[in-house]
Formats: sequence, C-alpha cells, structure tokens
Amino acid sequence: MRQVLLDTAARILQDGCTKADLDTAELGEFPGPLWRTFCDQGFHLMALPDSGVELGDAFRVLRVAGRFAVPLPLAEALLANRWLRGPGDGLNVVGRWLGDDAPGGRSAAPRATEAASAGSAQEDAGVFVEVPWGRAAQSVVGVAADGTLWAAAPSGVQQGANLAGEPRDQVGADAVRPLACREPVLALLALSRVALSAGALERVLEFGVGYVQEREQFGRPLAKFQAVQQMLAATAAEVAAANRAADAAIDAIGDERFELEVAAAKARVGEAVGVVAETVHQVHGAMGFTYEHQLHHFTRRLWAWRDEYGNEAYWQARLGRHICSLGAEQVWDFLATRS
Amino acid sequence: MLQFDPVTLPDNTVALRAEVRRFLGGCADRLDAPNSDFSTGHDAEFSAALGRRGWIGMTWPKTYGGGERSFFERYVVTEELLAAGASVGAHWVADRQSGPLLLTWGSEDQRNRYLPAITRGESFFSIGMSEPNAGSDLAAVRTTAKPVDGGWLVNGTKLWTSGAHRNHYMIALVRTAPPSGNRRAGLSQLIIDLQADGVDIRPIKNMAGGEDFNEVVFTDAFVADADLVGEPGNGWAQVTSELGYERSGPERFLSAFRVYVEFVRLVQADPSRVAAAAVGRIAAHLMALRRMSISVAGMLERGKAPNVEAALVKELGNNFEKLLPEIARLAAPFEEPFVGNGAGDRSRFRQTYADTLLLSPSFTLRGGAREILRGVIARGLGLR
Repeated sequence: MRQVLLDTAARILQDGCTKADLDTAELGEFPGPLWRTFCDQGFHLMALPDSGVELGDAFRVLRVAGRFAVPLPLAEALLANRWLRGPGDGLNVVGRWLGDDAPGGRSAAPRATEAASAGSAQEDAGVFVEVPWGRAAQSVVGVAADGTLWAAAPSGVQQGANLAGEPRDQVGADAVRPLACREPVLALLALSRVALSAGALERVLEFGVGYVQEREQFGRPLAKFQAVQQMLAATAAEVAAANRAADAAIDAIGDERFELEVAAAKARVGEAVGVVAETVHQVHGAMGFTYEHQLHHFTRRLWAWRDEYGNEAYWQARLGRHICSLGAEQVWDFLATRS
Repeated sequence: MLQFDPVTLPDNTVALRAEVRRFLGGCADRLDAPNSDFSTGHDAEFSAALGRRGWIGMTWPKTYGGGERSFFERYVVTEELLAAGASVGAHWVADRQSGPLLLTWGSEDQRNRYLPAITRGESFFSIGMSEPNAGSDLAAVRTTAKPVDGGWLVNGTKLWTSGAHRNHYMIALVRTAPPSGNRRAGLSQLIIDLQADGVDIRPIKNMAGGEDFNEVVFTDAFVADADLVGEPGNGWAQVTSELGYERSGPERFLSAFRVYVEFVRLVQADPSRVAAAAVGRIAAHLMALRRMSISVAGMLERGKAPNVEAALVKELGNNFEKLLPEIARLAAPFEEPFVGNGAGDRSRFRQTYADTLLLSPSFTLRGGAREILRGVIARGLGLR
C-alpha cells in the first residue's frame, strides 16, 4: 500500500517536474496540470484525518516530491487541507499570520470547543505572509506566533519569492476565522521541510555521482580522481545521516517526543544541506552554476528549506534547552530511549 | 542509494539495558574515567566481571561459552558501557572481532581452545595488522611465516599494536608466500602467543602520555600449525571480513561522549542561546549516528556484510567525535580571560575535554584511516 502510493507519486512527479516545468513555475505560472493530476489521484486529501492514509505516508510522499524539486506548494496544501477538514476543490495553503499576536490581539490559543462556538465571531482583517503560491490560493490557513490557526479567503496579493524562486506571497485577508487544532503545527511544517530536503539531498548526490562518471578531464573521468572520490564519499555520509534523521522524525508522528525528534532532524538535515550543496556544486564545475543545468533548482530549494519553519539554530536550541532541563545525568537516557 | 533502514531495538533489550545500568551503578568507583574512549581503560578485573554476567561473546554459540543473544542485545550492552566511561579496553578487540573471526574462519579446535576464555573475560587479543611500512596499505605487510616441521617461523615487525604488552594473543596478518602480481595473495592469519619466545614487545608512548600501542618484533617465533586461522593464503579475505564488526559500533561515535555530559552539567542551569544550540546540535548528531549504527547491527543480525554502511558510520562517527569537543569548547562559558577559579564542574569539563582532545587524532586513524574509509564508500557509490 505504502509502496504503491510512493510509486504513483513518483510517476506523476517524473512526468510533471521536468526542467522546463521547473523553469516555468519559477516564472510565476502555477503548474495547474500537475496539481490537477495530484487531485485526480486524491493526493491533495491524503493528510486528512480520515483519509485512510497514515500521516507519516503523506510525509514520505513529500520526500519523493523533494527528489523532483516539486514546483507545487504540496506540503502546505496537504497540511492546509488537513486543518480545514472540508477543504473544497481549490488550492488551500498554509502561510504565516503577520504580527506577534493572533488575530484580534489575542494570544491565547482557542480551544476546540471555544473555536467551534466562536465561529463567525472573529471577523478580523489582516495580512498573511510567506504564503506559498498565495496568488493561486482559494483559501489560506495562517499560523500565528502562538501556534493557533486562522483561515481566510485571500483579498489582494503581493507577489514574492524565496531564494529558490518558489512563490512566497503576501496575502490580505478581510475576515479571518479560527480553526480548531491541537496539533504541533510548527513541528509538522518543519517536518515537511525535513522530508522534502531528505529527498532532494538524495537526488543531488545522484547528480554528483552521475556527473563525475561522465565528465572527463586529464584523460579520465573525474570519478577516477581520489580527491573527487573523497568529496563525494563525505557527501554520501551526510546524505545518509540526513535521511536516517528524517525517517526517525516521520516515524515519531503521534509520539510524545515528536517535536524533539523533528528538532533533531531539522538540525541534522540543515547541517547536511550546507555540505552537500557545496560539494556537489564544486564537482559540477561551471556547468552546475548555469541556469541551464537543473542542479540549482534542487540546491536553491535546499538552501531555502533549511531556513523555513526554523533554521538549525532555532531547533538546536529548542532541543538543547530540553536536554538541559533534564540535566547531565539524564543525557544518555534521553539519547538511548529511542532507536 | 545507501539505505539505513529504521530498526527498533527489540523489547528484550529494555530489561537488559536496566540490568547493565544497575551493574554499572554498583561499580561507580571504576567509572570516573575522564573519557569514554574504548581503548584507554584496560581493567582485567572489570572484564572478568562482565564475563561472569555473560556480556562478552554475547552473540556466540553457547558451545563456546557464548550467549546466543542478538546483535541488538550486544549493541545495548556495549553502548551502555561506553556511555558510562567504563574500562572495556582489555576484552574489547577479542569480543568485537577476534572471536567473530574465529567463529567464521577458525577451526573447531581453535574455537574450543580460545573462545570460552574470551567469554570469561580472561583472554585478551590484539590486532596484528599494521607494520612499519604497511599502514593504510595493508597488503604491503612484510612479516613472514615460513613453514617448518609442525608449524611456522615468524619474522618481522608489527607496529601500533594496541594492548600487546598486556594482552595474551595477537592475530597477525603475515606473508606465507612471497609477493606476486596479486599483492593480496599469499597472506595468512596466525594466532600468536604474545608471551612466546621470539616475541619482543616495546611500548610506544603516545602524545597523550599513555602507553597503549606497541612495536612487536618477531624473531623466529614459532607458531604451531593448529594456530593458522582459516586457509593459508586466504588472509586478505579474512581480514576484510572483520571490518563490518570493527567499524560500525558505538565506539566509533561515543569516544568523546563524556565531554558532552560535562558540557551539559556546566550549562544546564541557565543555558545561553549559544550553549543551548550547542547542546542540541550535538544531540542531533548523536541521535542520527546511533540510529545508523543500530541499522548496521540489524544488517549483521540478518547475516549481511555491511562493509560500506559500516564505513559510512565510521566516517560520520569519527568526524563527529572530533567535532563534539570543538562545539563544546566554543560554547562553554570560558570566553572571559582570568574569570573563574576552574574548580568543580569547570575543572571536570576541562579535564575531560583535554583528555579527549589529546586522544582525538587517533579517532580518524584507527580501524582504517578516514581517507581509506572514504575509498570504501566511493567504491560503494560506484566511483572506483
């Protein structure tokens, strides 16, 4: 079942994520056909609580999507639909509520019952930022600084992009309503970046390994030079560690340690990104620095994703503070409690 | 490309882990080690105590004194011992690779003669690979064994032989046929009694002040036929088969662990942002490495020979062992000159930091230098 799901996703992505598709998406044109194919196969509802798919498998699909540098806001769409519950047919995405407080100046998280009864009582206007493909969205779910969720239909969009050229728009909202949610929202969003990055890292390593076998200099393939072998071996080690960390965090969904496992994974994957992108660019030479080559679609996303939803420093500190609260004598027990 | 499947430690390891911790709690006086390096503490009494509990040769057949337990159970015992800084150096090599080598390639007679004493923590082994002119290039060994009536006469020199001055035996890689076009041919492994005539052991002081490794000179040292391991000429295949055991265990990433414990003790009460991030960064590395190491234990349990995966764990683990003290050093609150008296927790941190730092150059040398390991990984990637 899981393998069928992942294979189906890979087939769709293989067809819909060519270099030309990635280039077009970067020009700001929403890849509608690819999105509709995903919807036709039911992928957009995969993360709904009653979808019949394990939530972990939704993140495993994201890892596959990372292998293809998917030019869709797949992660934010899956999670927005999960949190909206009755999502409709259009594109819904998650963004960030601008400001230090939740809408209405309230910083307390609305409880499920309170939010349900509050219903339309909240009619605040405001702005969502860093909304992936906000320009194409039917509705936006905004995460406030306190972790509460607020939904609205967009009214007015100011386009923007992250350093990978992925749209990150500013979206106006006339009337936001609270969404009931008891989930670790930030950790789930961070996990989406972990999963996407794990897949992209694997692919980038494959680019490097493939290129040095084709490219010849001094009369032999680059792969035959020890210096090149050493670089790629070290890179492979980072990719392996990042993937093992990602697996652990995905497996921890629903676990009491989930947020700490995500913290460890986001930190470890982020550290791997720096090493892997640097060395694989280096072995590609100037060719890998061109827009014409596809490598940058992956490395720029990796560089963007490691900063989204908390960079290494943020998650390291969060994990570190927890360990400090346990104290030195409990450090080992904390590390050895889970495999 | 390189898959480390998630492995959950089986339930029977929970009680075992608790048992090891209880045991360690009862011998706290032996645990005040400033480092968690597997090779530095040589304590025959402690090894014998572990042997009595069945914690040496855990995976071996009961016929030879083993416990017929899983690689996961062995993994749990070894990581608990290392994390506590226990002195495991005496029996470590015999338990980790000499015994498994004899189980795979040794004769029935050899297994009966050597394995039970190893499991009792009474018989200690050294690795006889490196020589003055054969370090990373192991196939360059020149120590020879010439056939004589009833056995072999060994001549030559082994170098960097850890524990030879305290251990009972060495399993030496020697030339039993002169070098030919195939450098890896003509090599064999012999079990050499380190107390025998013709064996001269000279300790070499290391830069940390310790005397752990040695030069071992053989002058017509006699080894009986019964102590040739496996087939004559099969030495290269036998030596490389040890590597999965040697390279993936928790000793490849826990050597600097005590520095982490003392670092947390130092900052735990009121961690700065920098200190908290350093604590978390180290934890993130450890969590991933430990899981990879357990994945390899799972491969060993399924009878695989995960040489490339083991090389990956060692590459990452050894680099991390060097990175850990560096992360801690720069995040420890010592940046103000002339501040503090260096007592208490500070002094503990400084001691374990210094101790580990001075040992750290060996981390990426022993068990295969980093550059050799990367060659193994590159081969796994299809680059050579």
